[in-house]
Amino acid sequence: MMYDELELDVLIIGGGGAGLMAALHVLAREPRLSVGVAAKGLFGQSGCTRMVQGGYNAVMSENDSIEMHFADTIRGGAFLNDQELAWTLVNRAPGTIAELESYGCLFDRGPDGRIYQKAFAGQSFDRTVHKGDLTGIEIMSRLKDAVLSTSAQTLDEHRAVALLGEPGSGVSGALLLDVRTGRFVAVSAKATLMAAGGGARMYRIAAPSLEKAGDGMALSYRAGCVMQDMEMYQFHPTGLVAGSSVLTGAVLEEGLRGAGGHMRNSLGERFMERYDPERMERSTRDLVSRAGYMEIQAGRGTSDGAVLLDVSHLGAEFVEATFPGMADRCREVGYDLARGPVRVSPTAHFHMGGARIDSDCLTNLEGLFVSGEDAGGVHGANRLGGNGVAESTVFGGIAGDAMAGYVVGREQPSLSPEQIEQAINELMAPMSTEGGENVFAIRSEIEDLMWEKAGLVRDERGLNEALAGLDALEERHARSPVPPVREFNPAWQEWLNVRSILTVARLTCVSALARTESRGSHYRSDHPQPNDEEWVRNLLVRAEADGSERVWDEEVAFTRMRPGE
Amino acid sequence: MPFAGESMSLLDGLIWIQRNVDPTLAFRCACRVGMCGTCGVVVNGREGLACRTMARDLLDGGARVEPMRHMPVVRDLVTDPSAFHAKVGMVSPGAPDPSGGAGIAVVDPGTSERAAVDLQRECIYCGLCYSACTVAGLDEDFLGPAALNRAFLTILDERSASADETLDAVANERGLWRCHTMFECAAVCPKGISPTLAIQQLKRRAIGRKLRRLLGRRG
Repeated sequence: MMYDELELDVLIIGGGGAGLMAALHVLAREPRLSVGVAAKGLFGQSGCTRMVQGGYNAVMSENDSIEMHFADTIRGGAFLNDQELAWTLVNRAPGTIAELESYGCLFDRGPDGRIYQKAFAGQSFDRTVHKGDLTGIEIMSRLKDAVLSTSAQTLDEHRAVALLGEPGSGVSGALLLDVRTGRFVAVSAKATLMAAGGGARMYRIAAPSLEKAGDGMALSYRAGCVMQDMEMYQFHPTGLVAGSSVLTGAVLEEGLRGAGGHMRNSLGERFMERYDPERMERSTRDLVSRAGYMEIQAGRGTSDGAVLLDVSHLGAEFVEATFPGMADRCREVGYDLARGPVRVSPTAHFHMGGARIDSDCLTNLEGLFVSGEDAGGVHGANRLGGNGVAESTVFGGIAGDAMAGYVVGREQPSLSPEQIEQAINELMAPMSTEGGENVFAIRSEIEDLMWEKAGLVRDERGLNEALAGLDALEERHARSPVPPVREFNPAWQEWLNVRSILTVARLTCVSALARTESRGSHYRSDHPQPNDEEWVRNLLVRAEADGSERVWDEEVAFTRMRPGE
Repeated sequence: MPFAGESMSLLDGLIWIQRNVDPTLAFRCACRVGMCGTCGVVVNGREGLACRTMARDLLDGGARVEPMRHMPVVRDLVTDPSAFHAKVGMVSPGAPDPSGGAGIAVVDPGTSERAAVDLQRECIYCGLCYSACTVAGLDEDFLGPAALNRAFLTILDERSASADETLDAVANERGLWRCHTMFECAAVCPKGISPTLAIQQLKRRAIGRKLRRLLGRRG
């Protein structure tokens, strides 16, 4: 089987915030290194950093403090966070805002000309830096401009399809698929960064960019990475409901609740009174999402399975001026956000779980760094709104700095042609399959299964059914054909997406089954209470040689703050 | 294909064809909410983002959907926008040191210059303006509307250290002076930006600077 070859010092997989920050940091430290950025979509355009609306948490005011941001993050994460990573996040966030401004980002200013921070839910201070309600475009466009002025090689529409190296011990590069030509590229790299983003699109209603399919986590896991807290999946409470359109699930930003928006069921009740009477709609995402889901399940939703988000009492002028992007998004599908309620549903949004990393973003595998959503630990059991883009940019930069040092003095790794050819044969197999089902139909079934059995409310029986269902779907996927077209063939791309999604879905289910309590975004109706005695522990999962999952748990190191503090 | 109601977009229609008729139908998309700028196509002769072109507006007579212009076609509706993106990169300021050492500037949000830049700042690099621009089709060296608008952002940014340099890079025959002021770019911008307006302002600045230099020399 023919393939192209490429040698790099540093291979970055992912063209979002983490990947681009990493590229800039590698080259700022060591300008002579060869760096490649492989993006599944168009570099700097696709992915989720760009979709960030509300903003970026950073301590910028003398009335706020690093300690307060840290405590909010740990309490929000129900004490499962890796406290050192969280501490790094809150400490580095303000400097990263300054760095982004130096690339040309301009975040919104108050009348005094200083950065104006707004309110997000679950936080003790209004610390969310933003540019209107479409902050991600500002960040990604300027990062893209900056990377384009460096020597980094940008590989548009080159998706990673396998990590190469010694399974379970080291990574020496990756096999990429050039989506446009259908050709494979085997990349040898002294350091590889996985920053491809999460797999929330394995759920029926989901917020992220459509191309995302958990490739990063699936490939890292298969290469032997230790994954942690994979049961921790965040659902955002206010995903737009727009009939059968792919718009359904798109997030209406958190600032709408932060600014005082109300959520009601079809009876007109502000249902948060029953779930968190103190914080009401400004409660954390996990609680508001679950409340909305339970209202809908209890028959108090609208006929199309939604609850209502209403900000009209804040004044039409205020809403239009403060949330122009959101108002626009609603208008397109026939809602008037400024003047009436909008139908929303919880929507799969962010995976807190991911690869276990150290303070340099290095995994248990030599040569493999992970940052952004593909990494676990920073957010624990639930992520605060505004901490996501902070994580990607802060830890992307850290990984870049670390890789610039890591590659010094290392030899260019050699790749195994057998390993590459075997991988290519597996990936090409569906083109010579006959009969079988349409891969798009299999994808829909996975999304329904995960939504119903492994979504906002879980129990042992449902999770076992989900695992059995995934087994069957995996077999059907293996027999599913794709038309033999290599150049930009969406059916083939979808077949590859499903392959990744099946892996991430399985890891989510086995971990969710193991955690016999409710904590943060993980809610078990058969174990509805948190169990602080036994379960303030991280769940870890790793692939055994025979392909099965080994699951175990470990104590959280309370290096800075103990439960109850 | 069935009309799925008010919320159905052209992108939903393309996905329907892919799922039900031709699984290999190639088109590009990512965010589906008008943020990524990757689903640009030409619909009935006019550039638009597939995700923001509503099916309800296409019910009369259907839609003829074509790939964007002035870019090589990869397959079906997918084009290779590399040249477009490279041109934007050419006029972008170089990456500064990531230490962020300069700190965060105080920027008065109320000045008229700031208001002028803010209007132009929403560009998502979708390339619709480039596809619609007649000059970009005639002259492959022309930087095009999005790149010139990007230069405008740098030149009017009160924090910028490379405003003069950037103006020099665009005040030439493949930049500002090549624009024929036809407003095609403004007509198709999904963010309501008028690159033409930015280009006109830059032309005035370039002339003003030239005059000042001449007068300065005489004086």
